[in-house]
Amino acid sequence: MIEGLFNQPNYVAAKKLLDVSEMRHEAISSNLANIETPHYKRLDVAPNFAAQLSQIVQSRDPQSISELKPELAIDTSAISSRKDGNTVQLESELMRLNQNYLENQLETQLVSGSMLRLRLAITGRGS
Amino acid sequence: MINILSGIDSTSSALNAERIRMDVVSQNIANVNTTRGPDGKPYARHQVVFEAVLGDQLAAGSPPGSRPLEVRVPRVEIDKRAPRQVYQPSHPHADANGMVAMPDINMYEEMVDLMSASRAYEANLSAVKTARSMALQALAIGKR
Repeated sequence: MIEGLFNQPNYVAAKKLLDVSEMRHEAISSNLANIETPHYKRLDVAPNFAAQLSQIVQSRDPQSISELKPELAIDTSAISSRKDGNTVQLESELMRLNQNYLENQLETQLVSGSMLRLRLAITGRGS
Repeated sequence: MINILSGIDSTSSALNAERIRMDVVSQNIANVNTTRGPDGKPYARHQVVFEAVLGDQLAAGSPPGSRPLEVRVPRVEIDKRAPRQVYQPSHPHADANGMVAMPDINMYEEMVDLMSASRAYEANLSAVKTARSMALQALAIGKR
């Protein structure tokens, strides 16, 4: 019964998105770490992930949502504006860092909210 | 192993590398007038080299770009440019013509290098701060 509550597609998708935001943070950390490394190419979550997720969420099947594996990949759309072939740009990287942080905050609140609603249902009070 | 702070390996390696770079720049600035080193030659400008390393060597078989990368300083190179000749006949290291070989260190170049090292250091610090806030949020899941 409780398992059923934790298997709602929205909850599973929020958990998956949390994983992705952690992973994107790792990629951004790696990009910022290598901002001066010649020939470094910036990493990001593979671009087809968003499409895959939105397609699978349509099916509303928690099993296939949780089986989805996000991956990191070299960002081929980034172009180098420097002589050393490095494709990292400090400002856009910091923007993404903040954007990812906010996404992470939203997703933790979604996950947390589902749990709090469950607790409210069990105890009859919110705290 | 799972890190509570995601990306901390990359970030800490970068903080380390940028600190080495700042150390090398300060060494260059400190030795701007050093006419004799331990080898009997004027000081030569040093320069760091950065290199990306795959953090988890176990994942060496995975395709490129699928793992976050660390950065390291594999070596500190010595700049090959010739010393600057300055006319100072009274200097103890002056040659027969009164010329002293001084290190060719351009202060503007060093300052720019120092500033970009310090900016990169700050950027990495902000990444670790964000990782910390994210970890705190994750720890607060389910709390009101």
